[in-house]
Amino acid sequence: MSAQYTVLKRFGRFAKSRRLQLSAAIISVSVFVILWHVFAWLLRCWDWSLQEYVPFPVDVFTVLVDSFVNEVPGMDLSMGVMAFASFKRVVIGFTLALVVAFPLGLLMASFRFVNYLGDPIIEMFRPIPPVAWIPVFLVMLSFFWGPVAIVFLGAFFPILLNVMFGVKRTDQTLIDAAKTLGARRIDIFTKVVIPSTAPYLMTGVKVGLGISWMCIVAAEMLPVLGGGVGNALWVSAMEFSRFDVTFACMIVIGLMSILTTGLAEQVERRLYRWMGME
Amino acid sequence: MEKKTTLLISIVIAAAVVVATAGVALYLTPDDDDSVKYVVVSPTLMGGWLQGGDGSAYIAWEPFVSSATVGGYGTVLSWSNEIMPNHPCCVVVLSNEFASTTEGSELSLRFLKAHVESTEWILDALADKDSVEYQLLVNMSVAFTLRDADVVENALEHVKFGWEMDTEFRSALDQFTDMYIDAGIVEEETVGDRGYGNVTDFISSYVNGTYLDELGSVTESPAILNPDDPIRLGYLAGDIHQLAQYVAANGSVVGGTMSVFEKYGLNVVAATGAPYANGGSEMDAFVAGHVDIGYLGAPPAILKKLNVDADTTIIAQVNSEGSAIVIATGSQISSLADLSGKIVATPGESSIQHLLLKIALNEQGLKLVKA
Repeated sequence: MSAQYTVLKRFGRFAKSRRLQLSAAIISVSVFVILWHVFAWLLRCWDWSLQEYVPFPVDVFTVLVDSFVNEVPGMDLSMGVMAFASFKRVVIGFTLALVVAFPLGLLMASFRFVNYLGDPIIEMFRPIPPVAWIPVFLVMLSFFWGPVAIVFLGAFFPILLNVMFGVKRTDQTLIDAAKTLGARRIDIFTKVVIPSTAPYLMTGVKVGLGISWMCIVAAEMLPVLGGGVGNALWVSAMEFSRFDVTFACMIVIGLMSILTTGLAEQVERRLYRWMGME
Repeated sequence: MEKKTTLLISIVIAAAVVVATAGVALYLTPDDDDSVKYVVVSPTLMGGWLQGGDGSAYIAWEPFVSSATVGGYGTVLSWSNEIMPNHPCCVVVLSNEFASTTEGSELSLRFLKAHVESTEWILDALADKDSVEYQLLVNMSVAFTLRDADVVENALEHVKFGWEMDTEFRSALDQFTDMYIDAGIVEEETVGDRGYGNVTDFISSYVNGTYLDELGSVTESPAILNPDDPIRLGYLAGDIHQLAQYVAANGSVVGGTMSVFEKYGLNVVAATGAPYANGGSEMDAFVAGHVDIGYLGAPPAILKKLNVDADTTIIAQVNSEGSAIVIATGSQISSLADLSGKIVATPGESSIQHLLLKIALNEQGLKLVKA
């Protein structure tokens, strides 16, 4: 049995098991596109000046396909190259945030003194939008790490806070039970606290991924090498007024976000199964 | 179970292969010897960026040139007038809706008179650096741009203030529009869709010199003509090119208590959202109906007219020239040809500076490509 066949069969099974979900998605997306088309059409009927800012879905789709086949208008790079460049930035920025925020969250939630140390700094920087760091990162960090740092900042705080919350929500009876069985502090931490944090961590991961993609436009306001979808979105809207391109970029970013969140959900499911939580 | 593991592993390997090949393809794209790479950096940040060492040069307008030369970290490689003499820069844009009434058209004419008179005052002040007027001009520039006096004085030397729109101006706008079409920023069909035969046709209808021709008929007014209905003026934050409107609004210039605007019976206020961060958002404010008359760069005026059908007209120039390619002081670069293979910052693909850099490099047989 070939691997491709297995994949197809698995997809078939997936489609069957999710029939309701898939049909609902198809319905809502179609209704959305139709409403969008009607809205754009009405604007033109009333001859509002706003009409030029709302392209027809079919025009956006045409530009989307064309920008993959040829290049994004005015940017001399194809959408595929740009999407890959943005994907790389988000994945690296997010992974770094996860690697730093998870242990830090565990530490801060477990040791009161570490919490007291970290809290003022974290609470001060948390509400600062990553875009505010652009001038600093432009000079301090280079083409690659500047944008990655913006994504990092976006993903860092939701992961950290969710992990801290998860640790604090650990069921006290489980800890007590472990204690009566003679567990040491380290055992309680690794065998009770960390596993019970997992659902909260995964919530943080999913929220963090969404915010990472939200930050890609801000990240690519910094000079980048190899372009980026966020950059194309910003430039097409603010400089070129090519809103067909802008909406096409929104679709690409949205699809990539769906892809990464879907991956995170797969990981989550496997994690829970492995931990026997299902 | 075993099958599942194999599948998982094969997916991971496939993903890794895709990522790796794409990455390798991206990094191994052959470096053209005949190309200069560009990145987009906001002009306010270019100085810091150049000092950071990520790139070799930038092209920007004043005062972002003088801030580098006066600051000692930048040297001018080429002034923009060496690339294209008298190249257009900022223009006065009029909302067609505002000008459609007799009153609006009269007010527009009077506004333009105030623009021209203020520009003349600036030119006179610049002609005599020992004059009281020159000192006043420098003080006003400092107040408007929030920069040091020495930076401002340096910048003022390289900006060419003026209002005339000659054939050279129009053909430069023609060329810019053609370059937008070449780059794919404007689709070729758009020109026809908006009802113009070709690009020349578009520019000659967009640039309207009749207001300038009629200025002779404008006389001073003893009273404010529009006390309740002020002209809503759009302009860019701290842009030294747009000093004329600051001078016109400033009472001390004509020596009395009246500003130049008041002298011609005008009540002028800053439009909602003004000063704008860039010309694009100012044009959006025109479309939204917030602005009657505005100062902004020619490129956003052209792009918004074509791409979103902004109902506006260019009625005068504000300034020309005044941009430059700046390299780090002490750098090995001594000519445009030396920029080959280097990274240069521009203010954006649609900016005049970007177009000028492209023109200059093309003359050297070099291409400007995205880094």
